[in-house]
Amino acid sequence: MLGSYPNLQKGCGDCGFSIRRAVGRYLTCPVKESKGEEGFEIYFSRGRMNVLKSVLEGKLPLSRELAEFAYQCTECANCTEVCHETHNENLVLNTSKWIDHYKVWDALRKDLVEAGFAPLDRHVDLVDYMNNDAMKNPYGEDFAKKFAWASDFPNIKDKGDLVFFAGCTMPLRQQDTLKNMMSILIAAGMEMALSKEEWCCGSIGARIGEYKSVNELMKHNIDILKNMGAKTVFTACAGCYRTLKKDYPEILGEELPFEMKHITEVLVELLNTNQVPFKPKEGERLKVTYHDPCHLGRHMDLYEIPREVVAKIPGVELIEMKRNRKHAWCCGAGGGVKSQFPDLAKDISKERIREAVESGADILTTSCPFCIGNFRDAYEEMEPEIKEKIQLIDVIDFIASKI
Amino acid sequence: MPTAYQKLENIVSNKYISDNLIVRHAYSRNVDPVLQGVPDIVIRPKDAKEISEILKVANQENIPVTPRGGGDCEQGGSKPIEDGGIVLDLKRMNNIINLDEENLIVTVEAGISWAKLNEYLCHYGLYTGCMGPSSGMTASIGGGVSHYSSGGGGAYKYGSCTELVASLEVVLPTGEIIETGSQANKFSKTPFNRFGNGPDLTGLFCGDNGIMGVKTKVSLHIFPKPPFAYYKTFLMRRKSQQATAKIFSEICHKGYEVYDAYYLDDLMVRFGCELGLFPMWDSLKRKKAIFFYTLEANSEVELDEKIKQLDEIIISEKCEELGPEISDGNIAKWHYTEQGHWQMYHNLWGMVPAYEPLSAECTVPINIFPEVLQDIGQWEMENNEDINKIEEITKMRPVAGSGPISLEKGNVAGLATGFNTYASYYDGEIHEIIEEINLKLWRSLIERLARYGVQWFMMGDFLSRVMVDVGGYSSEYYKFMKSIKKTLDPKCILSRGKFNFWGTE
Repeated sequence: MLGSYPNLQKGCGDCGFSIRRAVGRYLTCPVKESKGEEGFEIYFSRGRMNVLKSVLEGKLPLSRELAEFAYQCTECANCTEVCHETHNENLVLNTSKWIDHYKVWDALRKDLVEAGFAPLDRHVDLVDYMNNDAMKNPYGEDFAKKFAWASDFPNIKDKGDLVFFAGCTMPLRQQDTLKNMMSILIAAGMEMALSKEEWCCGSIGARIGEYKSVNELMKHNIDILKNMGAKTVFTACAGCYRTLKKDYPEILGEELPFEMKHITEVLVELLNTNQVPFKPKEGERLKVTYHDPCHLGRHMDLYEIPREVVAKIPGVELIEMKRNRKHAWCCGAGGGVKSQFPDLAKDISKERIREAVESGADILTTSCPFCIGNFRDAYEEMEPEIKEKIQLIDVIDFIASKI
Repeated sequence: MPTAYQKLENIVSNKYISDNLIVRHAYSRNVDPVLQGVPDIVIRPKDAKEISEILKVANQENIPVTPRGGGDCEQGGSKPIEDGGIVLDLKRMNNIINLDEENLIVTVEAGISWAKLNEYLCHYGLYTGCMGPSSGMTASIGGGVSHYSSGGGGAYKYGSCTELVASLEVVLPTGEIIETGSQANKFSKTPFNRFGNGPDLTGLFCGDNGIMGVKTKVSLHIFPKPPFAYYKTFLMRRKSQQATAKIFSEICHKGYEVYDAYYLDDLMVRFGCELGLFPMWDSLKRKKAIFFYTLEANSEVELDEKIKQLDEIIISEKCEELGPEISDGNIAKWHYTEQGHWQMYHNLWGMVPAYEPLSAECTVPINIFPEVLQDIGQWEMENNEDINKIEEITKMRPVAGSGPISLEKGNVAGLATGFNTYASYYDGEIHEIIEEINLKLWRSLIERLARYGVQWFMMGDFLSRVMVDVGGYSSEYYKFMKSIKKTLDPKCILSRGKFNFWGTE
């Protein structure tokens, strides 16, 4: 709870770096920037910290109103990055030793849920669906529908060392990408197992601060994966990756009984050993820029492997957006923003797409179903000139198109 | 009859005004851990005209107004002194209006940050010279000019940012809009010079801490950024404060043009190393005080000559030069090339969890700064009993001293003095005794320093009032300041309470 993080919260020196950093550096908060001229200080980290100080001091109660502000945050952790960074290993900024804004926002959300002021309207539905025995996913779909895509792949085992955790978004909303992933892995000669009993990883609940549902989902999923004999579990969803690899051990208080990988970590091994049978097109040269999903990048330090994957696709010239790696601008979908504040999520996404266009890239790619989904929604609303200049494609689909 | 809120809303529209309690609390604090003032209304105007209308309403309704730029004041200056009133958030006014490359003048809206302005200028090979306050580049130009900001870089070569002002657009507390400097001449097409055409009334709004008017546009002299720079760091011997004073003095007497020179005392170096903040100095056998400088030049020959001149002075004080790379301990290089110009405070804030400064930053003549630092140590011992009370609760002792000490234009030393302490909310509980002691000690330290005749950089809420309370101003001067304030602001609407100007007899 927030009360158990007083020193984390009080480590904020109100320096205002969470608005903007130094010369040559970049803006910090995608929500604040998206608000533009309507951006009161409540919409970025320092203002929120000031409010939390008042909450901890008993001068401001938790409230529904506070929740409405608190959940307008993608939890991209750029504020933490800015607060901590020195760019140089020879000097450490004090705040990097104890203030973690993500944990503070997480603690606040837990408190708001506990006090009954959250989840917000649309989040309530998501949580209800996750807890519903007939669903166990945040999309409100029947449980069995999550595995409909697998019927195209009868050879997937139900036990094995290497297990695929499908999650919910790709099976229910991006099945083609999932099937493309399977095509790649089959073409590379990989064997893997899939459980048809996996539940939602609980990422939605964790981001919202609703941990009761997460605990139940987590225990179930770990049991299932253990019973399958999993030594390595991989997922194509950045959200599931972060939740299983980081949240589960923290909540459990112990290591996972298996290794956890992201699809890009699997793909890079296959690409490095030439196991992906590409059919390169003669003379094709595409400029491709890679967007770092927050849940892979800033949250999990996975920056270079996805780039390696993209760079190995035939005909690709990998170029970087101005804000890349730990400085990457959020896509806008995280932290429950996509579901509760869809227009805000799309606005932030449009900023990122414009940045991709500025980089000179022909293609914007990424490896996160939330990022690509939000980009697609935003892209639909953008001007024709933007659409003429750049295409969106998931890394998996991109590779699949070349084999 | 419309309410005050309705009148204000009619000026800016409902998008840019809020009386939401949570929004108001977001604006209720500054950098210090003690002071808070929750406004009744937060308003975000877009230009001088809107500010003029807002101030007129404020006068009609007798509502105090506090301007807020970056919100980085260390003495509570950009929030109301008491709960209530209006906070004027100027960050919407953050545009570059004109770059006059030929005459090296840039005109900006006052709410623009030092970062945004310098990011723009660097594409033209230009910079502001003085890079704003040491609190970082999120601070606003308007705020800098309100406070004589100078710790952000270039303090010796260029002085404080107020020295760069060519002209201002100001909304007076009663709503009139004026331009100062060369722009006071209605025939002037472009701002170019602050001085002339009568008394320097621009100065009235420089360092005013927001009491004399709301700055809406600032025209600054700007400079070509020299292509060559060099940065050196030295380990000092014993009696480093006296040695530093001597070095500072020699630089001034010999007329050497240094971009910046700084001194970090050995307590800060040792403490920082113990906390693991300075890996670059881990291998130093003796964790002594550090001296560092930066030079700029237009040619390598000029640079080499400057380095030679400066090193002669420094080495005569038996300082040991550290290597040229950051990994060798060259903090000067880190500041200039990586941290984006001297945000000295960023790496000092919060040295341990919840440990924050109550600062009393000032300038003093170079020759007395060692004495002042020694006296701060003495002050700390005299207040041991109160300090121990905080330590009993927090298990960590508040420490008085100074952050980096800078050489400033005008042959002065800039002292980042103060003491690090805790807020009253600590480890899940509110300890009112901590707040009482903090305020008592802060006041006491300010009074102690005032008696050295120091000049305060920024005064904000607390320092401005304590300076008056302790009789820091001569009565004639204070009456003079008050009469000007009363003329400009009869109802004391703007920044009510600062300097004890409350609008009542």
